[in-house]
Order: sequence, then structure tokens, then C-alpha cells
Amino acid sequence: MKRLIAKGWRPVTVLILLLVLWEGAVRQFDVPNWILPAPSVIANELIYGADRYLPHIASSVQLALTSYGVAVLFGLTVAITLFRVESLKEAMYPLLIISQNIPVIVLAPLLVIWFGFGMLPKVIVITLVCFFPITIATLDGLRQTNPAYIHYMKMIGATDRHIFWKVEWPHALPSIFSGLKIAATYSVMGAVITEWLGANKGIGVYMTLASSSFKTERVFVAIVIVIALSLLFFACIAALERYTLRWQEGGRR
Amino acid sequence: MSQLVVRSLEHRFGTSDVLRDVSFRVEKGEFVSIIGPSGSGKSTLFHLIGKLYEPTSGSIELNGAPIERGMISYMPQNDSLLPWRTIVRNIQLSREVNGQPIDEANLLEWINRSGLAGYEQAYPHELSGGMRQRASFIRALVSEAPLLLLDEPFSALDELTRMNMQRWLLSIWEETRPTVLFITHNIEEALFLSDRVIVLSDKPTVVQRSIRVPFERPRREEITLDAAFIRLKKEIYNELRSVSH
Repeated sequence: MKRLIAKGWRPVTVLILLLVLWEGAVRQFDVPNWILPAPSVIANELIYGADRYLPHIASSVQLALTSYGVAVLFGLTVAITLFRVESLKEAMYPLLIISQNIPVIVLAPLLVIWFGFGMLPKVIVITLVCFFPITIATLDGLRQTNPAYIHYMKMIGATDRHIFWKVEWPHALPSIFSGLKIAATYSVMGAVITEWLGANKGIGVYMTLASSSFKTERVFVAIVIVIALSLLFFACIAALERYTLRWQEGGRR
Repeated sequence: MSQLVVRSLEHRFGTSDVLRDVSFRVEKGEFVSIIGPSGSGKSTLFHLIGKLYEPTSGSIELNGAPIERGMISYMPQNDSLLPWRTIVRNIQLSREVNGQPIDEANLLEWINRSGLAGYEQAYPHELSGGMRQRASFIRALVSEAPLLLLDEPFSALDELTRMNMQRWLLSIWEETRPTVLFITHNIEEALFLSDRVIVLSDKPTVVQRSIRVPFERPRREEITLDAAFIRLKKEIYNELRSVSH
């Protein structure tokens, strides 16, 4: 706790200062709410308008988690396959990079044409966004395995399977977790953006409804929720990481 | 019957001739050191014994049969303890890989005997360099392979730790008497530990000389100051000088 305060007071001070400035400027220049609502107005909406946004959260969380799960499975499978089959890696790696250069905004309407407005096109889009950091981080982690460990394992007669599960995989875990953390934040953002495409429920829907009726404070509420969800999700993965990689504790310091 | 028989071993990497006609034997329970100028193909020799690849020609037999992968146990220069495994789980690694049953009580006893008690559940980074090498040696020992390959295991340690480790290794070896092939570039270490010292030539490598070490066991550290010891050391030193350029 002490460490948290010692490390956290600077950014928190800056944040508070920023909010105060914002509030002051809006009041001073009499900015209308529909252009830029004051933080106090947003906070008010956040507290008293909960009935309006709470039902949307569950739907977005479900979409984000489902897609994240698919992305993790897909990302790890691709990484492991490419790592184990060298020729496949040569063939697929450029395609993998290209897949990341297709703007999702362009892809989304296409997927809606093919798969309709249901969950499926959304899951596909979010997966496409999220699997990439996982795959790249996993591949890097696997490839950077200390050759001394592999040499030792070969000398004592280990099979490729042993070497993979006992050495390469655990060695890649720290790297894999960085990928998982990045993908976690992407998944929340991805969920909101895909909900703009068309959905009955979700933070994205709440956001479009708010902006089209010029309830700008609700747009900001949506932003706050997205940030909070992302941080929460990130923190969960980080906690899982600390638990899984407890052997690193101390080694890192 | 000899435990390990290396017969006119020859190995080439592309056009570079690494080993040319290397032959020697190691008897059961014998401690043999291999010493040679750097780049003399000592590592290649170990890789061949570990069956990482096939020799260009010649043969290696263990217990009268051609050697197979996984028949030996190995202690590398850097300890190569896996940082995500506790000490006890690191030590069982060689048995795990060979599909041997794991007797935790036996492992713990070995950990105790090597002065690592209390560190069973510690991770390698929490141990000193000497302790890690002891763990690494035990890991090789508990696999109960018929041949132990030690690849310059103490070369990364400081002088004092190194001497302690040599004494410790000797005490464990004299108790359990495994067959050991030990690579080193330290003449004193080779003489102090082994029954026999094999001097390799520079590339392409042949066995330059095989020298029997006449000192009695159990050996004490004082023998390193013995006139006979120093004479032998000088002899090997000259031998090495004559083969390296």
C-alpha cells in the first residue's frame, strides 16, 4: 500500500489538476454541455444514470471475454504451429503481417454482409485484432529460449516434445503474458467498436445513442466505463501473470 | 570390461577436420579427465558421446553396446538449471526425461548431503554459483546413468569456490564411484581429481597422451604441493604447449 502511494501520487496529482482545469475552463467560458460537459456533470451522470448504462455493460463484457478466449486459443495455436513447423513459418509469417495491415474498419462491413449482425462477425473482428500480439509475443518468447538449456536437454536424451514442454514453453511464458495483457485491453476496445456496427445492447450502442442525441456527458461516461473495464481486465491478467511467474519474483529486481 | 570404449573416432564439419582418430577407454568406476588446447574438439567429442550427431567414422560403445541417446548424464559448464523450477524439481529433471520413477526421499537426501538443505523449494537464482553447480552435479548423479559427462563444470566459478567444489566432488565421487569423463582446461584440477588424464592435441585432434595419476585415494588437498604432483603438472603443461600453436 505504501509503495502504491509512493509511486502513485504523481500521476494522481496530475489527473486531479487536469480535471480541475477542465472544470474551471468549462465554467469560465460557459461551454455548453453538448460540446464539452464539465467533469462534475459527467460524474453526476455516472452516479445517477447507472440504470441507463448498467444493462449494457454485461453484454459488452461477454462479447469481449468470448472474443478474447477465441483470440488466445487461436493466437497460441498459430504461434506454436509456426514455431514447430519451420517451413510453415516461412510461408505464413508475411501473411500474418499483412493481416494486420487490413484496416478493421474496412473489414467490418464485409463481415456484416457475410455473417449478419449477430455475435459472430464481432467475435471475428475482435479476434483478428487480438490474436496478433499474442502470436508475435509467443513466437518471440519461444524463439529466444536459452540455447544452453536446449543443449543440456538434448545431451540427456530429451525428445523434441520434452524440450518444448519442459523448456521452451515455460521460457516463453513471460513473453506470452505481455501479449495476453496487450490483447486484453484491445478486446474491450474491440468490443465497443464492433458494437457500433449494429447491436441491441452494449457500451458501443449506449455510446452511439448518446452521441446521436447530443447527450455528450453520456459519451464521456461510456469512455470512463471502457477505461475502467480495460484496466480491470488488464489487472486480472497481470495478477494471473504474477501467480504463474512467481519464480521470477526477486529475479527481476 | 571397459565401460566406455571410443574407437578411432573421426569427425568432420564440412571441410574442417575436427577429430582425427581419437581412441580411448574408460573403465567402470574410473575418473578420467580430458585436457586439451582450446578448440581441440573436446566439446565435439562430448556431443558425439551424447549422440547429438553421428561421427564421420569410428564408434562409441557403452557397456559393450553402441551408445544411444539418453544413456549418459551430463553436467554442463553453466549449470543450466531451469529458472522456473525449484531445486528439487530441477534435480528430478533428468529422471523425468528418461521416464524413470522419481523417489522424492532420495532426492531430498542428496540435497541434504550436498549442503543444500533448506533450499529444496528455492529457485536457482536464489542460490550462489557454487550451490547451483552442486545442484547441477546431483541432477546428473541421480539419473544413475552408467557414464557421467562433466563439461568444464567449475570453469565459471571463482578460485576459492572452485577448490571447495573440487573437494566436495571428490568426496561424493569416492563414496559413489560413478564412471566419470571430465573435461577441463585446468591441469591441477585434472590431476587432483582423476585416475587418468588424457591429453588431446590441437585440431585435427588425436589422443596425444594418456597419463595415469599415481596418487592414492582418498586424496587430500596437500598433494597438490607434492613434488611428484608438480612434476606431473609440468609434464602435462609441456605436453600441452607442444601441441598448441
